[in-house]
Amino acid sequence: MAEVTLTHVNKTYQGDVHAVKGIDLSIADGEFVVLVGPSGCGKSTTLRMIAGIEDVTSGMICIGDRDVTTLPARKRNIAMVFQDYALYPHMSVAQNLAFGLERRREHGSVMKSLIDSGYRINKATEDAAIRGRVQNAAELLGLTKELDRKPKALSGGQRQRVALGRAIVRDPDVFLLDEPLSNLDAKLRRAMRLELRALHKRLGVTMVHVTHDQEEAMTLGDKLAVMDNGVIRQFDTPANIYDAPADRFVASFVGVPEMNFIEGELHGNQFISPDITLDIPLGCVPNSNDKQVVLGVRPEDIEVREGSATQVNNFERHGDHTDLFLTLGDTKLSARQHGSHRHIEGSTVDISIDAAKVHFFALAEDGRRL
Amino acid sequence: MLATMMLPAQVTMIPLFILFRSMGWVDTILPLVVPAFFGSAFFIFMYRQFISQIPESLFEAARVDGMGWVGIWWRIVLPMCKPVTAITAVFTFIFVWNDFMMPLIYLHSEEKATLAVALNSFRTQYSGVEDVHLLMALSIITMVPCIVLFFAAQKQFIEGIGAGAVKG
Repeated sequence: MAEVTLTHVNKTYQGDVHAVKGIDLSIADGEFVVLVGPSGCGKSTTLRMIAGIEDVTSGMICIGDRDVTTLPARKRNIAMVFQDYALYPHMSVAQNLAFGLERRREHGSVMKSLIDSGYRINKATEDAAIRGRVQNAAELLGLTKELDRKPKALSGGQRQRVALGRAIVRDPDVFLLDEPLSNLDAKLRRAMRLELRALHKRLGVTMVHVTHDQEEAMTLGDKLAVMDNGVIRQFDTPANIYDAPADRFVASFVGVPEMNFIEGELHGNQFISPDITLDIPLGCVPNSNDKQVVLGVRPEDIEVREGSATQVNNFERHGDHTDLFLTLGDTKLSARQHGSHRHIEGSTVDISIDAAKVHFFALAEDGRRL
Repeated sequence: MLATMMLPAQVTMIPLFILFRSMGWVDTILPLVVPAFFGSAFFIFMYRQFISQIPESLFEAARVDGMGWVGIWWRIVLPMCKPVTAITAVFTFIFVWNDFMMPLIYLHSEEKATLAVALNSFRTQYSGVEDVHLLMALSIITMVPCIVLFFAAQKQFIEGIGAGAVKG
C-alpha cells in the first residue's frame, strides 16, 4: 500500500498533441480516486503513465517514497485492470491468475511476505504459496468453479472478475483500473460497482479508477479528479464536486440532466436575465466585481407547478421522478419532478427556482466559480 | 515480400538450379528441404496479419505482469499463434509432399525419387492406363499422410482467433 503523487506531469505525443498538461495530483494511501472526464481528456493517459505503460514527457511520479518516473511497469508493484480485460486466451483461469506471480518468481524477487515471515524459500513452498493466493482470490470473487476453464468459456462478468483477481493475487501497492466496467451491461455494471467498492474496503489498497461515466465516478470514488483537455479541473470529494463545482465544466459534467446555465446580470442581490428575475438571499451573492455572470441551477432545484408561463417540450419518465425539458421565452431549462407527472409535450407549467441553491460562474471562458 | 510472391516459380527455376548445382546439392534432398526452413512470403504474411490482430492491451497486461519483449513473444504471441502454425504446417506439408517439379529437377537417381515422381512414372512407362490398380494403390498411399495430418490439425483450424482474450 502506498500513496501516489504526480508532480507537474506532462505528456506530449508525436505531432505536438499535448495530452496531459502539467497535472499535480496527490492520492493518499488507501484512497479510492476516480479520474473522470469526457473522451480524450487525458485520464487514461494519466493512468497509463502511473502504470508505466506510457512514458512521462516531463514531471515526476512517486509511489510511496519511490520515484518511479522512469521505472518499467514490472518494477512498480502496481496491478492494472483493462477495459477489455486482456486475459491470456490460451491459459486457464488459474494460470491467468498465477501468471504475474510466476513471472515475479522468475525475476528472482520472491514473495516478500514469505521472506518477511521467515520461511526458507524453495520451489515447493513457493508453489504452495502461489496456489494459496490463487485460491484465496478465486474464493473472494466467486470463481472457484471456473479455475480450470478458459476465458472464452466465461461470461463477461466472470471475465471481469478474473481480471480483478489477476490484480488481487499480486498484492500490489496500487490498483489501476482503466474503465473496467464499461463493457458490462447496465445491471451487471451496478452489481460490479458495489463489489468493487466492497473489495476496496476489504483490501484497503490505493485504487485509481478511470471512467467517463460521471455516475460511476460519483458512486465509487472517495475523491474525484474531473479532467478536461489534459488538465484537472477539480479534485475533491463527490459531495463537494456536486455541491460546489469549481467551474462551469465541472458543473455541467457532473449530474444528469446537466445543470441549467442562464446568462444574466447581477444588480446587488438581484439576478436579471431577459426571461428570469431572481432575488438571491444575501449569503448566496458572490463576492465578485463581475456584473455579467452565468447562473447555474440544478434540475432538482427547480420546482414545477400548475401554470402557464413555461412550455413543456419533452419529458423523460423514470418512475420515481420525471425530467421535464422546458422553454421559458428563449431560455431552455430542465427540471426534475418527483413521482410520475401529468404534463405532456405542449402543455404549460409554472416554475420557481430555489434561489438559495443557485451557483454563479464567470462569463469569461474559464467559467470559474464566483 | 509481396514482390517475391508475385514472381512466377518458373522464372526462378533455372537460376536456382544453377545456384544449387554450384553448391553441389544436385541429386541430394537438400534443395527440397533447406529452403523450407527459411519461410515463405505467403506464410510470413499470414503470421503478420494474425499477430497484428492480437489486442494491444494483452501486451500491456503482460508488461505489467513482469515480462520483457522476448517473454511476451514466447509466452503470449507464440501460443496464441497455434491456429496459424497448424495451417502453415499442413499447407507446407501438402505442398512439399505433392510437389512434382522440384524432385523431378533435383533428384536424378531412382532410389531418391519421391512418391509424386513415382506416380508420374506409371504414366510414362506404360502409356498411362495399363497398371491402373497399381496406380490407384499408390495414389491412396500418397493421400493417406495428408488426410491424417489434416484431421490431426482440424481442431486448431476451427479454434477461433484469440477468442476470449478480450470482450468478444
